[in-house]
Amino acid sequence: MSSLKRNNVTVSGAGEQAMVFVHGFGCDQHMWRLVAPAFEDRYQVVLLDLVGSGQSDLTAYNPARYSTLQAHAHDVLEVLHELHLNQVVLVGHSVSAMICVLAAIAEPARIARVVLVAPSPRYLNDEGYVGGFERADIDELLEAMDSNYLGWSAGVTPLIMGNPERPELAQELNHSFCRTEPTIARHFARVTFLSDNRADLPRLRTPALILQCAQDALAPLAVGNYLHQQLPGSQLVLIETSGHCPHLSAPALTIAAIKQFLAAETPAAS
Amino acid sequence: MSAAENEPLPEFDLRLTQENLEELYEQAPCGYCSCLPDGTLVKLNQTLLNWVGYSREELVARRCVQELLTIGGRLHYETHCAPLLLLQDQVREISYQLRHRDGTTVPVLVNATLVRDANQQPLVIRFTLFDITDRRKYEQELLRAKAEAEERREQLSIKNDQLTRINAELDNFVYTASHDLKQPASNMVGLFEELKRTVTFHDPEAACMVTMFEDALRQILSTIESMTEVIQQQRQPEQLVPEAVELQPFTEDILRTLQAQVNPSAVFTLDFAVVPTLRISRTSLHSLLYNLLSNALKYAQPGRRPHVWVSTTRERSGPVLLVRDNGRGIDLQRHGQEVFQLFRRFHPEVAGSGMGLYLVKRLVNQAGGRVEIDSTVGEGTTFRMYFLE
Repeated sequence: MSSLKRNNVTVSGAGEQAMVFVHGFGCDQHMWRLVAPAFEDRYQVVLLDLVGSGQSDLTAYNPARYSTLQAHAHDVLEVLHELHLNQVVLVGHSVSAMICVLAAIAEPARIARVVLVAPSPRYLNDEGYVGGFERADIDELLEAMDSNYLGWSAGVTPLIMGNPERPELAQELNHSFCRTEPTIARHFARVTFLSDNRADLPRLRTPALILQCAQDALAPLAVGNYLHQQLPGSQLVLIETSGHCPHLSAPALTIAAIKQFLAAETPAAS
Repeated sequence: MSAAENEPLPEFDLRLTQENLEELYEQAPCGYCSCLPDGTLVKLNQTLLNWVGYSREELVARRCVQELLTIGGRLHYETHCAPLLLLQDQVREISYQLRHRDGTTVPVLVNATLVRDANQQPLVIRFTLFDITDRRKYEQELLRAKAEAEERREQLSIKNDQLTRINAELDNFVYTASHDLKQPASNMVGLFEELKRTVTFHDPEAACMVTMFEDALRQILSTIESMTEVIQQQRQPEQLVPEAVELQPFTEDILRTLQAQVNPSAVFTLDFAVVPTLRISRTSLHSLLYNLLSNALKYAQPGRRPHVWVSTTRERSGPVLLVRDNGRGIDLQRHGQEVFQLFRRFHPEVAGSGMGLYLVKRLVNQAGGRVEIDSTVGEGTTFRMYFLE
């Protein structure tokens, strides 16, 4: 299957260079609605849904394959290959910030810069490292997801699975942003919150921008500082906003920070 | 004007007009709060304050609504609800647990609406929270039952796979065993013939014992034969191609071989007027008719001339093949469930392998039909085989 269909890839904008936006856990490409259009005048803007999220091909979600973030990074690279993109600016939010880091480590020649929005290389606390969460908290999240998916009726599933012959469902789909098939969501939650990519950080050679929210329960300031220190030649910009989604809560600041990063001359890779 | 409109308003309790909006907000049977777009609490009602055990001063402008949730709930809020609110201005029926300051939790259902200012910028989020303690218990029961059902299904499917494998192994075993036994048993027949010819017996009872030995040998061979047949018909489904079989000549052929070897005095009445042909594989039909007819003769009522009726009728579901005899009958009260099982025997005084009816049932089922039996001890037995059109 084409990776473009598998990852529900949408392309817009005019420009030589491509910006590829990758959403995080709990939502889909709609998350970039307030940010991505600001780059369409100068960039080719590529949006995608991770396999298992949004309107990606859910049948492609093989839990064994997607038990690490590496598989998602591989998917992102496949999209770049299929669209023949080079000198790409990869923008990833939350867990996808790490997916973008992994992709850039794998194919540094193809990726010019990475923008890490509210990133965290590990959510769980560890010796000498504050991630912000304990294992029990993640179990609590899974429980919260379970009780919320009681409302996941059988009626929604065929809709998400794609139903081109019933256009009236598309309307309903617009109201179901960020809904995910429960078993997949549960699995992806585990993969996300139990991931640990700290060891990969020093291997990144691509210039990176870290967008750190001022108050973010998921990726606290200490985590942003840790990343800044571990990523050679990275820039850290503090966005004055609360929460984990600066691209939704402070889109103007987010856009300005990214534009400034892209306008600057490429810093020498260390 | 309708009569109803002419009627004076019923007198109502004037205390109702004193319903005070402030009082309604504070003491409403649900929790209310208003927050800044980032969740910072601006206003809460007393009901919600009671649920979480904090004073207004401790929360307003100091804490955000996410902090009133369990950490797992907060993770869900930040990754799912917060972006959804900013994307579509509302969320509905989200299930969370409020965390009381003493550590206990209250399950709540949350609805929230985002209000925007004149410039379409997010201004305030309004939350309504409902206590769903009892409902949550049902839901947890449901989730538990669902998990349990899934686990059972998993176990069943593993068991099923095991059984299928064991079944195939057993079939293989029976096939190999019958194959391996056939040759030496045939050899024994030949050797015994040879032995009878060359040896002289002096014991006066020897003649009787020789006959008994020959009977036993024949029994062994016929058992091996039926075992092979049972396995064969399922190992080689390509031989089971259905075709239209003319029943009259087909049955007559079987009778000729039967009558010659069993009981020349038996009477057979054939009547295929209603349904003269049947769509079925010839091998299957031969095997099942042969088994039923030879049974009818084998289990004849002693002292009564065997009479067997073979006929067809038509029911709404399709053709029916009947085989009726006036033999010994089977006590169905006693054996009903076992009649068609492998190695079940009901007349030990008559030689048999216990495979005939098992084979008949399998063949009929394989042809998409079903078989029924009626029987009265001392009077006879009727088999009805219902086939599909």
